[in-house]
Amino acid sequence: MNEKDMMQEQELLELLKDYPVPQAQAGFYDQALVQAAHQGTRRQRNRWMLTGFGSAIAAGFAIWVITATLMTTPQVPDVDPTIPGVTVMLEEEHTVRLMFASAMALDSATLTVSLPEGIELAGFPGQREITWETSLEEGKNLLPLTLIALTPAGGELLARLEHKDRSQTFRLRVEVS
Amino acid sequence: MTEADQSHVFERVVRPHFDRLYRLAWRLTGSKAEAEDLFQELLVKAFGLLHEIVKIEEPGSWLCRVMYNLFIDQHRRFARERMHLVDEGHLPGEGLAGLAGDLDPVADSERIEIFGRLDAALQQLSEDHRIVVLLHDTEGYKLNEIQELTGTPIGTVKSRLHRARARLRQILSDDGTIS
Repeated sequence: MNEKDMMQEQELLELLKDYPVPQAQAGFYDQALVQAAHQGTRRQRNRWMLTGFGSAIAAGFAIWVITATLMTTPQVPDVDPTIPGVTVMLEEEHTVRLMFASAMALDSATLTVSLPEGIELAGFPGQREITWETSLEEGKNLLPLTLIALTPAGGELLARLEHKDRSQTFRLRVEVS
Repeated sequence: MTEADQSHVFERVVRPHFDRLYRLAWRLTGSKAEAEDLFQELLVKAFGLLHEIVKIEEPGSWLCRVMYNLFIDQHRRFARERMHLVDEGHLPGEGLAGLAGDLDPVADSERIEIFGRLDAALQQLSEDHRIVVLLHDTEGYKLNEIQELTGTPIGTVKSRLHRARARLRQILSDDGTIS
């Protein structure tokens, strides 16, 4: 390392040493302690919106989709027309809400969302597959997914929910207009 | 032990380490929301292991290791570009706001801009390199502490630190942040 490198490194180290971290918000530690002590308190992970509605189905879990738009869309080549579909506008955010119904509360369930080419999930640029680990409440749980279409191709979105040896895959046709 | 007793013991053991843990969560995740999630997950997990924690000589280091493992096991799986989530406590916004003082607004503004550039440079590092350089050069962890925390051989830690610094020097000298 020459003299210039050494001076630069010294400057860098001083910069890194002062690199700030925000303080925790007032009351956050107390709140975190309370939640930890009450194991039944639901963990709010990953900014999921998991809302229990209290109704349960007989066994296992099921998945539906609810969208703000009409479910019926024109047929898209290469995509099964019999599966639920949603139409999104090119380069505009569109929130699709998936509803997961579970017969029982589940910890450590894994959800994997696979996106067709040209469709992204807001906040996950360039990623075609995103995996979450989360808990499900007994009854119905809502997960909003904000989609952005970067190309007009559209395709099929897969949401796979797994827990231990059980799994279920939900398919959603995404068409771009 | 009643639930109230457990809570009391738990708080007594873990609270002294909260600031350190919160900083670590921030350094690992790079955003307020994820740092809080990780911190909360750690406490929930730790509470379930209270009977073990009370026997540990240095619970702070133990908690840091558990936090790191939680981060690796869960948060890394999201494969998220955490540092790009500029709307949630990303340092150039919320984080640097705390730097602003009222004595010299020009100097404050310059500092915010400089740390914004540092932040952008850190984003260009791989996660492994970014974590090592932040833990060592910002948080003051020793190499052996990083080795213990991450389970990475010390030679690899040194190599990552060296490469991370070299890359940061290159980026920050190219944009004129360092001379």
